[in-house]
Amino acid sequence: MTDSRISAPDRRTVLRGALYTAAALPLGVTLASCATGGGGGGEDETDDGGDEPAGDVDPDNPFGVEPDSTVETVIFNGGYGVDYVEFAADIFADLHGGEATVEPQTEITATMQPRFVAGNPPDLIDNSGAQSMGFNAIMDQIEDLTDVIDAPNLEGTTIRDTLVSENVLDSGVYDGKLAAINYVLSLYGIWYSASLFDEHGWTPPTTWEEAKQLGAAAKDEGLYLFVWGKEAATYYQTLAIDSAIKQGGDEVRLTLENLEEDCWSHEAIQAVFTAMKEIVDAGYFKPGGSGTEFKTAQAQWSLEQEALLYPSGSWIENEMKSNTADDFQMTGVPSFVVDDSSAMPVTALHSEAGEPFIVPTEAQNGAGGKEMLRIMLSQEAAANFAKEKLAPTVIADTVPEDGFGSTALVSQSEMLAAAGTDTFTHKFVNLYGLNQAQLTVWNSFLDGSKSVEELTSDLQAITDEARETQEVIPVS
Amino acid sequence: MWSFDSISFFLVFLGLPLALFLTLVIWPFLQAAFYSFTNWGGFSQEFDIVGFDNYVRLVQDGTFLTALVNNVKLAIVIPLVTLVIALIFATLVTVGGRGIGQTVGVKNSGFYRVVSFFPYVIPAVVTAVIFMKVFDPSDGLLNRLLPAAFEQNWLGSVSTAMPASMVVIVWAGVGFYMLLFIAAIKSIPAEVYEAARLDGAGRLRTLWSVTLPSIRETVQTAWIYIGIAALDAFVFMHILNNSGGPDNSTLVMPQYLFRLAFSQNQFGYASAVGVAMAVVTLVFAALVFTINRLSGGSTRSS
Repeated sequence: MTDSRISAPDRRTVLRGALYTAAALPLGVTLASCATGGGGGGEDETDDGGDEPAGDVDPDNPFGVEPDSTVETVIFNGGYGVDYVEFAADIFADLHGGEATVEPQTEITATMQPRFVAGNPPDLIDNSGAQSMGFNAIMDQIEDLTDVIDAPNLEGTTIRDTLVSENVLDSGVYDGKLAAINYVLSLYGIWYSASLFDEHGWTPPTTWEEAKQLGAAAKDEGLYLFVWGKEAATYYQTLAIDSAIKQGGDEVRLTLENLEEDCWSHEAIQAVFTAMKEIVDAGYFKPGGSGTEFKTAQAQWSLEQEALLYPSGSWIENEMKSNTADDFQMTGVPSFVVDDSSAMPVTALHSEAGEPFIVPTEAQNGAGGKEMLRIMLSQEAAANFAKEKLAPTVIADTVPEDGFGSTALVSQSEMLAAAGTDTFTHKFVNLYGLNQAQLTVWNSFLDGSKSVEELTSDLQAITDEARETQEVIPVS
Repeated sequence: MWSFDSISFFLVFLGLPLALFLTLVIWPFLQAAFYSFTNWGGFSQEFDIVGFDNYVRLVQDGTFLTALVNNVKLAIVIPLVTLVIALIFATLVTVGGRGIGQTVGVKNSGFYRVVSFFPYVIPAVVTAVIFMKVFDPSDGLLNRLLPAAFEQNWLGSVSTAMPASMVVIVWAGVGFYMLLFIAAIKSIPAEVYEAARLDGAGRLRTLWSVTLPSIRETVQTAWIYIGIAALDAFVFMHILNNSGGPDNSTLVMPQYLFRLAFSQNQFGYASAVGVAMAVVTLVFAALVFTINRLSGGSTRSS
């Protein structure tokens, strides 16, 4: 018996084992990503989603979906849920027999990455949410969806002719390829309470100078002009970029999108930064934003009404629904210009379609994935989405004039109508995953501890690093 | 010798854990090391071997060095503060009671023992969310309690973000280590305390000369565990200051790894960060062992 006691593990051996295990933990991350070596034959893949249709092709079945085939869709289960895709899946079953499955998912990257590596991705993915896949990582493995846009919808009209505008597709175009069709239309603006403004006789500003004057007026009432939260400090970066693009024209967008050297030093961007710095220094931002959770900060605007304006996407009404003061009458205006000499009119708008749907090239039933998209882009499904989600899709005329009773939705329609073709979008921040690094910089700038020069050089350093370490997709 | 009994015993108790350990720990470990020499983007079968490029970039990467320094700060401060508090509390509820008669803890020590364990029962995520609210500069509990002159933007300014985050981690950890120390102190024979007391030792003297030497091994174990936790600290930091805090003052290595891998798709470089983290962790453990041995402790069990 004594012998076996000697060979029994002593405390130190156990400790050492635990130590090695703990040291391995940080490396466990690759466990989730599970090896390129595994997985079924990615090399000798014969199935190709788009090129050779398996079933017969005709206007009612432009992609040649095989009758009774199965389509697998993975849909981001966020603010919009997945029932709008299930709505389309029912139509798919009626048209072609078979079945379209809808898998709700929030961890898109974690669940889809191994399937891409193994070469068996699903037929349609809504690549959205905080855990979405970076487009520069999957660009070679997804279909160009131009043929979906040029296909007739279920009512017989070509889908391209039913879009809100042609450039609504821009947010899914990478280096000339329509890699994703973004389904939900949103826009970026500055939001305020129409009732509060009426009460004080204020009008929403259109230039940074007017914004400064409004800030002074607000201060007299003991209010702030702006409020921010630490996870959303870069909403002010979006505002600054939008503003600079309107002021300086498309060249501002292109220099940023192409991650060019000294892009942040562009005259128009500097003019906007300088105006913002004056507002920061004047104390028109509610202090403490860099330590405040962003929804708490947003409620200081929408519920406690301590601040007048908040720059955000049009999802803000829905996001703050339960935290908005009674009779708030949330209304939006496009981002400010610097002065009258701006390259774009005041009404120009950062409009961006969201919920990017992609069809992987190696999907088993890529034709079915495209057919699902075609169904979703048809009048019936688009109208259903607008009604159920109180948000417009990229398909025109699905929101009635009363906006289903929402002031924000009405003002969204008005802003889009006023902008006409003067809409733009930019996507380098998300494409290269820069938001986290930029947040730190913006939090410091907004709380007053960074100068315009420091803001510029810090943002430039982030852009430079991305250009040097990642594959840059050119934008023109 | 090779009866069914012994073979099945080896299979179940040695073979199975070994197989699991090899496939779920060692294999990913080797994979991570391998990918750290590639430029793998994470979504395809294609990548190039880039040699030591990722490591060269690593040592020149200012953000990584900031994160490393932050982790080192945590690994120094968190174990020290947590274990000192835990040891004091553990002493109080076991042997810190009245100075005459039987060696007991302070009055109602059973109650304190249970209560002080509560923070450990709360999931780290919840703890962090609660403290984020407590630290809110406008409506947070802390600023509301403090006189106006002491109000701070706790998580939002460079000078306070790191200390505030440390307080949260210490708060969450004290209960567990206190329990660990209580168990260790309970195993010290009561006669030793009685003898020390008869010789005229006060409570501090007893703690330093009786308790501490007797539970030395436990302290070392605790130190390594909490040090490793501090070298990670991902959950707390990621929730308290999602983007790394003001001027990256609370950014830790796993957060940076997470950002590189999952929002910038640089899995190759992220693997290099992972390997660096593992090295730092091992160095830390080696340091603790060395210091313990040099200061006269024995880690040999024979």
